[in-house]
Amino acid sequence: MKTWDIIIVGGGPGGSMAAKVAAEKGLKTVFFERGRKSGEKNSSGCGLGPRLWRDFPEMMKRLTPEVAPSMRPGIMARNYFINKDDEVVGMVMARPTESVQYEPAKSWITMNCYRSDFDPWMASLAIEAGAEQITSTLIIDLIKDDRGKVIGVQDENGQKYGASIVIGADGALSMVAQKSGLRHKWQLSQITLVPQYDFYVPRENIDKIMGDETLAVWWGSTFPAAYQVFFAEGMHLGLGNWLNWWDKNPLYYLNRVVNLPYFQRLMKLLEAKPRELQSHLLPWMAYPENTYTDNVMLIGDAGGFPCPLEAEGIYPAIVTGKIAAEVAAQAISDGDTSKGALKAYEEGWKKSSVGIEFEAGPELQHIWSRLPFEPKTMEWFVPMMMELLGGIYDWSEPHAVRVRNILEAVRGYLPKAIPFIMQEVIPLLSKVLKEDFENLTKLSEFIPKLLPKKK
Amino acid sequence: MKIDVKNLMKRIPGTGDFISVDPEKCIGCGRCTVVCVMNLWLLRDGVAQLVEDYQEKCLECAACYSVCEPDAIQFRYPKGGTGIIYEQG
Repeated sequence: MKTWDIIIVGGGPGGSMAAKVAAEKGLKTVFFERGRKSGEKNSSGCGLGPRLWRDFPEMMKRLTPEVAPSMRPGIMARNYFINKDDEVVGMVMARPTESVQYEPAKSWITMNCYRSDFDPWMASLAIEAGAEQITSTLIIDLIKDDRGKVIGVQDENGQKYGASIVIGADGALSMVAQKSGLRHKWQLSQITLVPQYDFYVPRENIDKIMGDETLAVWWGSTFPAAYQVFFAEGMHLGLGNWLNWWDKNPLYYLNRVVNLPYFQRLMKLLEAKPRELQSHLLPWMAYPENTYTDNVMLIGDAGGFPCPLEAEGIYPAIVTGKIAAEVAAQAISDGDTSKGALKAYEEGWKKSSVGIEFEAGPELQHIWSRLPFEPKTMEWFVPMMMELLGGIYDWSEPHAVRVRNILEAVRGYLPKAIPFIMQEVIPLLSKVLKEDFENLTKLSEFIPKLLPKKK
Repeated sequence: MKIDVKNLMKRIPGTGDFISVDPEKCIGCGRCTVVCVMNLWLLRDGVAQLVEDYQEKCLECAACYSVCEPDAIQFRYPKGGTGIIYEQG
């Protein structure tokens, strides 16, 4: 059996980062990809966040349109609000606010780049660092010694590969997680299904019509919130929900977005043509657990690391990939790759910005499932919000009368809104602000703190 | 507007069989028939059954496997280098 120091199962962004870092640390490294090349099996939104450029500046400055022609940054994000009759009843467009602190986050919200560009580029960095990539190879099992210790992996042809550490970078349906006993299956409330269309859009139309916009979110009342992302010469439209939510074919809901009169008009304007249908699973959970055991670590989607609010997955995959490779290098150098030694991995990701993201993970995930992903809530939330946002721009009555009308209308929503605020918003605020707002006295004491101090 | 999804997929043949169902374990809940974007599952006599040409249609998302609580559905990715290809993923 041919052996390496470390085997990484999966050649996505997380696996490639782990392979790159491991190779840079001097480990004999191999990473596997089931496609003919990295990225050809993957679909996602796919916006890259500015934290990648902040945390990995040397690496990210090498991502250019020459290596990734689909790249397109954008500074504006649109939010459409759609009522139960599938009418767009409001729109909010925003750019990074004044409290955003660093570049490039001030200059763009996301850098959009197809996985078919990004993943092979990441893999090339790992190969350049000295890692070996084996493509078109499906790893189907872990090899264990007599005592059950993982000593390598096996591919579908029975070929065996040995190593003292195996990193599972093999996505939502992680074989490494299953065979190592870290996880049998996700609970249905931990995993989402995301169907997505890619549309071809002529480059000049994107620039002319969308300008500096990067994405749009379609907050619907008849479908779970959908995202639209603009690339140099195309766009994605997708939506998702947890596996225990669907009552119809997921495409029914996605097509509902496509068939919004507003979306149809935009498609005509852009001369957008459907080009590809994609579908993938995306772990979206309250808190990652069981991310390591003897000789094994799980990173990225395999470990359940996508952000609990918006399910951004690539950044957490890259961060956890790096931490896992560093822990692996230390463990191999110390000659101890047991669970006890690899606990440093869990400690590492908990301290990282990925871990901080999960501080309010259960609350963030819960509010998302109850609001944008729950049309029954959006059905009253959208008109209530639009009374407040849009009701004043109305010439139907004197403005003072309009204000009274709006307040009356909002009051009508309170029987639904107040329980929602108490059950969803207050627990989230309590966790994020580290204040016990569920105790109403505490909440009433907090409000005066927001007022200007008396001189 | 009806999007004809048939023309929106590219794949490399030669996947071999990669999904199967154990009729003894299937409880006929039908969840696989709901979540499959490509409508590759149907219930026959209360047991989940795959359409014959699933290898030519499957998007390999594994939703059927993941949604199957009684573990009646077995799923393994197709043979390396075969199956669905995303060129704008």
